[in-house]
Parts: sequence; structure tokens; C-alpha cells
Amino acid sequence: MNPPVLVQGLAKTFFDEARGEVNAVQGIDFECRAGEIFGLLGANGAGKTTTLRMLATILAPTSGNAFILGHDVVTDPQGVRRQLGFYSASTALYPRLTARETIEFFARINQYPADKVAQRVDFLIERFGISQYAGARIDKLSSGMKQKVSIARTVAHDPPLLIFDEPTVGLDVLNAIEMQGVIKEFRAQGKTILFSTHIMSEAEKLCDRIAIIHGGRILACDTFQGLRESTGAHYLEDIFIHYVRGRA
Amino acid sequence: MFSGADIRLLYWRELRSALRERNIVINSILLPIFLYPLLLWLVYMGISFVVGQTESYRSRVMLQALPEQHKFLKTELQGDRQIELKTSPDPAAEISRGTLDLLAEFLPPADGAGLAGGNFRVRLVYDNSKDRSEIARGRIAERLGRYRDRYLETEGKKLGLSPAALQQYWVENKDVATSRQKGQFILGLMLPLFLVIMLCVGCFYPAIDCTAGEREKSTWETLMTAATARKNIVIAKYLYVVTMATLAGILNLTAMLLSMKSVLAPLLGGVAGGMSFRIPLSAVPLIVLVTVLLALFVSAGMMILASFARTFKEGQSMVSPFYMACFVPVIFLQVPGLKLTPVLALIPVVNVAMVFREAISGVYRWPLIFLTLAVETVCIALALWIAVTILRYEDFLIGSYGGSFGKFLKERLLGKRKEGTK
Repeated sequence: MNPPVLVQGLAKTFFDEARGEVNAVQGIDFECRAGEIFGLLGANGAGKTTTLRMLATILAPTSGNAFILGHDVVTDPQGVRRQLGFYSASTALYPRLTARETIEFFARINQYPADKVAQRVDFLIERFGISQYAGARIDKLSSGMKQKVSIARTVAHDPPLLIFDEPTVGLDVLNAIEMQGVIKEFRAQGKTILFSTHIMSEAEKLCDRIAIIHGGRILACDTFQGLRESTGAHYLEDIFIHYVRGRA
Repeated sequence: MFSGADIRLLYWRELRSALRERNIVINSILLPIFLYPLLLWLVYMGISFVVGQTESYRSRVMLQALPEQHKFLKTELQGDRQIELKTSPDPAAEISRGTLDLLAEFLPPADGAGLAGGNFRVRLVYDNSKDRSEIARGRIAERLGRYRDRYLETEGKKLGLSPAALQQYWVENKDVATSRQKGQFILGLMLPLFLVIMLCVGCFYPAIDCTAGEREKSTWETLMTAATARKNIVIAKYLYVVTMATLAGILNLTAMLLSMKSVLAPLLGGVAGGMSFRIPLSAVPLIVLVTVLLALFVSAGMMILASFARTFKEGQSMVSPFYMACFVPVIFLQVPGLKLTPVLALIPVVNVAMVFREAISGVYRWPLIFLTLAVETVCIALALWIAVTILRYEDFLIGSYGGSFGKFLKERLLGKRKEGTK
């Protein structure tokens, strides 16, 4: 059986006015297994966001292949988008819609069965504790509430794969911990989660397997324990430094 | 894949958001309904106020060397509520200072004689740079004219001449225009300009809000992850902007027509002998058609320009020149006697304004109307082609392209550089 996420030789080259040609991702390969949290760990500019954006079909790869639950990101982008929920700091909510309208809109546009949308919206409002604010416009909500609505928006169509691109960036400790709890809960529901971060402790705590990405290349990919054994280092920070310096 | 259901969903989302945005509601709905009627009403009130003020004050006039035979003129002026007779040792200086409005200097007749005794010339000395003085001149000239007519009639009778024999010939005016035609002339001058302005105002904010605004609010990427084709998103946004533009145009037209009937007609009634502000029913389908075509063109143009911006403010500065380019040429169409010609029919926006103007007057030059429709359709098609071409560039789509439309046109569409392609 094919893995939910299969990436083969995926590459992305940009043209930047100041820097010229930039090879943001240089032929990476990895796969995510069903029901696991797979972490992409890397510093800023390592190629994490570009990789995840290619998988979410926001960007098209320059070369290589990627399949999401059997759908090709190049030839069947809509099929891919139906199967995943994408969350990042740059995916904001419409400020003039209410929380309920937001969740309902994304459930419908992502092709959740029309006759079950109302039930799904009620479930998510209940689950994320936003019933009291469901009728309030997004721009009137606190940042914590917005975060909850944003997660509910991501899973509105109940996708089997979730992509979280640095989901705790900009959050305070409590909200970051809550976000980690939510991600674990999704894994418990059997969803596959692809997660990027530059925070070592977060990757250590959440991920079943970790891919260390640097300069657009994956330097290592294993469980935390496997990485420890391969490098002889105890902490993820040291493991990360080991691979990055080794590469340099 | 094209999906009507997705487009409908996206369209209603845009519309729902827009109707909760104060700026959009003000510019696309409230302004078209209330702005010009309110301006007309203010003008009406202003004119009424000025007329009232003018009527109420008295002109300070000095009569100098009034012939004895015409003392009745003085009596008449003394009894006039709008005239106050004064005397002064230096009337010219007082006129300059503004303490006297006019000096009526009675002089001997130019040829030194006349049929009747007591003939005179009157020199009205006044200061044209002062309103009060100018008004006094008008009042005294009008009263002297009346007095002269009566005086001539009396003197003529003494000589056995009838008023007709004195008058010799009369000039009469006969206006062949009906009140409806007069109204249509005024409508033809005003409505096309207001339509273009209001239509542009109506789609200005929505066009920026649904493109640059989405980038600024970071909702663009959220939308890009939705499981629908990108073209569905673009079509829905385009239809939304066209709706707001058309809505603004139609609301403004209706409001203008209603306010002209109730405000402008009474205001101009006395001057133009009554006017009827009605658009011929036969012109309505053509007017609606050109309004929609104009909305399609202006919306496409504004959306293309606004989509190069990353913030709402940037969007405003990018769209403003197009906005001006749309309505400024229409201002020059106020030239009297201007007709829709083949050259005018080739100029977008101007051609629509001209078709609209002539349709109001019931004039239909069908070959030129078809040429106008063809030109507008080509312009819309060209704008949509540009939009589709632009969307093929990924850096543009994700908002990382930093240039303007001009730069994009030069570098990408005209083929000087192809970087940034997928």
C-alpha cells in the first residue's frame, strides 16, 4: 500500500531579483506513514515551508514527484487539496466572517458532503470550545480564539492528512502547548501529520519520525531514537548540529 | 475544473464579507444613492439662500441731475423696497469704498434734441468687482427700462402715436423643444459622467479588497489551499467586483433620476420653462447593456492593477491612475453638439458614455453602437487574457512578485525576460 505522502526527488528553483537563481529545495525524498507525525526540522531558510507549500499545491515543483494519498501534486492539485488541511502562520482567516461561517465555508469549498456540513460545523465548534463566540466576527476574537477557529478551519472537511507549517510560531507558551495537544489528538484519530518546526523540543516531543533539512536537502530521516543511535548524540540539538556541521 | 457550485460559494463569501465592510458599503452603495442627490439638494438650498439674501437687501443708489420732467421716477424709486436713495458729495469714492452701490448720472441726450422734451442719457456708475454694486446696476437698469417704456407710451400718445407705431418691430422667442427633450438634454450631459464616476467608485474598493486586501490580511494563502480550481476563485472574485460596480452604477442612475425630478426640475423650471426628466423606455435595455459592459471592463482593469499590490494602500495608488483615466475623458464630452463618431466609438469608456448620452435622447446610431459594443468586448477579452496570463506566473500568484503592472508587462508579457514562470 502506498504511503499517504510520497516524495521523490522533489526540487524547487526560484528566481530572486537580488539573489538570482535560488535552489530552495534540491531533490528531496521522503515518505510519511499513515497515522504518524512526521517532522521536518530545519533552521529558517532550510526549505521546510517551500517543501510543504509544494505538497499543498500552493507552489509547483521544478522537478520531482510528490503524491498525497495517491494524488499527484502536479497533475491533480484539487484532488490533493481535498485530502489535506494546511495550517501555517500565513494562513489567516477572513476577518469579516463569523467563526461559524468560516468553518462552514471551508467545509463546503473543500467538498465535505453537503448534507453533513451543519453537523460537522457544530461538532467542531463544540470540540474547540468556541460556541460562545461562534456568531462573532473573526476580527472581534482574541488571538487564542482565532487560533482555535483556524485549526477548526483546517480540519473542517475532516482530511486524512494535515500539514502544519511552524504552527507555534508567534504563540505564547500556553497556546503553543495547546496546539501541540491538538496535533497529538489528531494523530490519535488516525490522521497523518506532516509538521515543520525549527524548535528542537517541539520536534522531540511530538514527532514519530524526524527529517533534518538544511540548504534544501534532507540530511537525515529517522525516529528520534534512530537519530540518537546514528550520531551517538543524546539531545536533538546536538544531533541537528552534527548533521548540519557534517554537511558544511 | 470549472465548478458553478464552487464559484457560487466563493462569490457569496466575497459578497457577504463586502457587505460587512464599512468602506465598501459607503462607496458602492451609500455614495451612489445619496451623494449626487445630496449635492443637488445642497446646490438647490444654496441657490435659494443666495436668492433670498439678494432679494432682501436694498441697493444704495444716488440720482444725480435728474431732469425736472422725470421727478416721478424719483418718487417711484423712493417707494421701491429694494432701492434706497442716497446723496453724497463724492459718489465715485463712496462706490469704491462700498458705502454706495451706484450713481445714476442723468446727462443731456447725445444728439442734443429729441421728439419729446426731457430726453436724457443715463450713465450708471458702479463697481463691477462688487456684488452689491453689480446687482444695483441690474435693478436700476431694469427699472429705468420700464420707466422709459411707460414714458415713451405717454409721450407717443401726446403725439398721436400708438405703442405699436413706436415699437416698429418685436422680437419673439419660440422654443420648439418639448419639456421632455429639455430634460433629456440635461440628463445626457450629466448622467454618463456620473455613471462612469460612480461605477469606478463602486468597484474601486472591492477590486482592491479582494486582491491586495487578501494579501495584506494573509487570507490569500488560505484560499489557495481550498480544494477548488484557481480559475473558480478568480471568476468568483471578478463576478463579485462586477456586481458591486453594476450595483453602484444602477443605484446612482436611479437616485439621480429621482432627485432630478424632485430637485433639479423645480430649480430649472423657471429658467427653462419646465422640464421632464425621463429616460425613454426603449433606451433602458441599451443603457443596462452598456452599463454592464463598462462594469466588466473597469472591474477587470482595476483587478489586474490591484493584484500587483501587497497592501491595500499600494493597491489604491496602483488603481488610481486607471480610475482617473476612465472618467477624465468623459468630462470633455460635455462639449455642446458632440456626436458619437467612428473615432469616439473606438475609445473605450468614452464610447459607452456617448452611446448612453445619445440613447437618453432617443438617438440610436446602430452601426456605431455595434462598433462600441465590439470595442468594449475586445477590451474586456484583452483584460481577461492579461489576467489569465498573469495568473500563470507563480511568483505573482503567491504574492512574491515585487513589481508593478508596467514592469510585468515589459518583462514578462512583452517577452524581455521570462523568469518567474512555473
